[in-house]
Parts: sequence; C-alpha cells; structure tokens
Amino acid sequence: MSAGAIACSLVVISARNPVVSVLSLLGSFVCLATIYLLAGFQFMAAAQLIVYAGAIMVLFLFVIMLLNLGTDGQATGPLERTLLRARRLPFVLAIGGALFLLAFIAIQTQQTVRAVDPELAERGTSSLKGLGELLFSTYLLPFEAASVLLLAATIAVIVLAKRERREIAASAGNADARTEAGS
Amino acid sequence: MTVPNEHMLILAAILFAIGASGFFIRRNAIMVLLSVELMLNAANLTFLAGSRMHSTASHAELSGPIFAIFVILVAAVEAGVGLALVIALFRRKQTVSLDQLNELGD
Repeated sequence: MSAGAIACSLVVISARNPVVSVLSLLGSFVCLATIYLLAGFQFMAAAQLIVYAGAIMVLFLFVIMLLNLGTDGQATGPLERTLLRARRLPFVLAIGGALFLLAFIAIQTQQTVRAVDPELAERGTSSLKGLGELLFSTYLLPFEAASVLLLAATIAVIVLAKRERREIAASAGNADARTEAGS
Repeated sequence: MTVPNEHMLILAAILFAIGASGFFIRRNAIMVLLSVELMLNAANLTFLAGSRMHSTASHAELSGPIFAIFVILVAAVEAGVGLALVIALFRRKQTVSLDQLNELGD
C-alpha cells in the first residue's frame, strides 16, 4: 500500500495530462485511506474517502474539464476520436473486471478479516465516540472557527464567480448599446 | 495486521518530498494545487502516526485525528478558493501557466 501510494504520487507530479494526474492522486488517496484503516483509524479512512476522493477530486476534475486543459493536438477529428475510444475499450473492460473481482474477493474474505483482527472494529467504535466528545468539549473553539472559515470561503467563492458575471453583463450591455447606435 | 509507526512517518516524509518537488517543478496552477493537496495528506499521516505513538492500550490519544480532520477541512477550503481563483485567472488571461501570470514582477 505504501508502494502504491508512492508510485501514484510520482505519477501525479510527472504526468503531462492533468486528468491523468488527478486520477493517480485519487489512487494515492485510496492507498492512504487503506493505510489509515489498517492503522485503526476507521473514521479518518471514511473521511479521507468521502471528502478527498469524493468531493475535492471531483472539484478538480470539473475545473479541468471546464477549462479544457487536456493535452491538445491528439484526437482532433471525430473518426480519430472513435478509433482512440475503441482502442481504449479493452483497458476499460479489464479495469472494470479487475475491480469487480476485487469486490467479490473482498466480500468473500470479509469473515476471515474479522476473525484475524477482532479488536480492530471494537477500537474503531470507541475511538469515534471519544473523537466526538473531544471535538465538542476541548476543541469547541477550533470547531466553531472552522465553521466560520467555511462560511468565509463560501462567500469568497461566490464573490469571485459573481464579479465575472457582472463584467459579462456590462459587456452585453455595451453590445446592445452598440447595435442600437448602429441601427 | 498492523502498520508500524515508523513506516507511516517514512511514507509521510516521502509523500511530502514528492509534493514539494511537484510544487516547485510544475508550472501549471492546477498541478501546483494538487501538489499542495499531496503535502497536506503527508501532514495528516504524520498527525495520525503521532497519535498512535502517544496512545497506550488503555488510553487512546485522539488529538491527532482531530487535527487531521481540521487539516482535511482546510484542504477542502483551499481547493475551493484556489480553483475559483484559477477559473477567474483563466477567464482574464486564457492560461493557467504560472510563467505567464507574472505581471506583479514586471
């Protein structure tokens, strides 16, 4: 798992295509979540998967797709693109089949894992309870500060996006005035 | 099937080194943000390893996971604001290369 995390991270900084590096960063995060799980931090593993792999990486992918930052110059025509897609189909099928097989094996061996490490599940539940109690007693002030930080970030992002819309509206108004002047 | 603390710390150091080198060698703004995420993950791993080092069989030290949760929160905020800035820059300049966004230096 450590080797997988390191390999994925190396791909992250060396890949030319941003989409490839985002996907390998996803693989690195999944490896790290597995390490957290093996180290006994169940809640951290879940948070890692949901927040990082689920939310942040999707945000990155959205921005890359929105700005169209993929390596340009390859697969220009529709025919070439179809050929490229057909060539990729075996890889996609192989990866999907491997994932399905992995899930199947995981479900089959679930019982043995529970037999190997019975105190792991017990400790996870107790640590989650302690985590919640600590978060709302000792670390109450940082918790509230974090909520304020989230609110500030939300407002900041809205302002950043809105200013552009006003500029677009202004330019549209200018265009309208110009067409009126022309007619 | 347990993970030694030393291995977690070594892995965190390697991941941080990879993230830092990516931060300095890549000239794409989005790749720089990804490298920052990698470094924050290494910091998380260090927090969790430290928490495991200081917890005993009877008492579990939980400050490390709490700080890791805060780090995840800050990483989410950073990604959101950073990507909004990248989109705003792209709308103005039609590029995300940091070499071409140097008007403050000129």
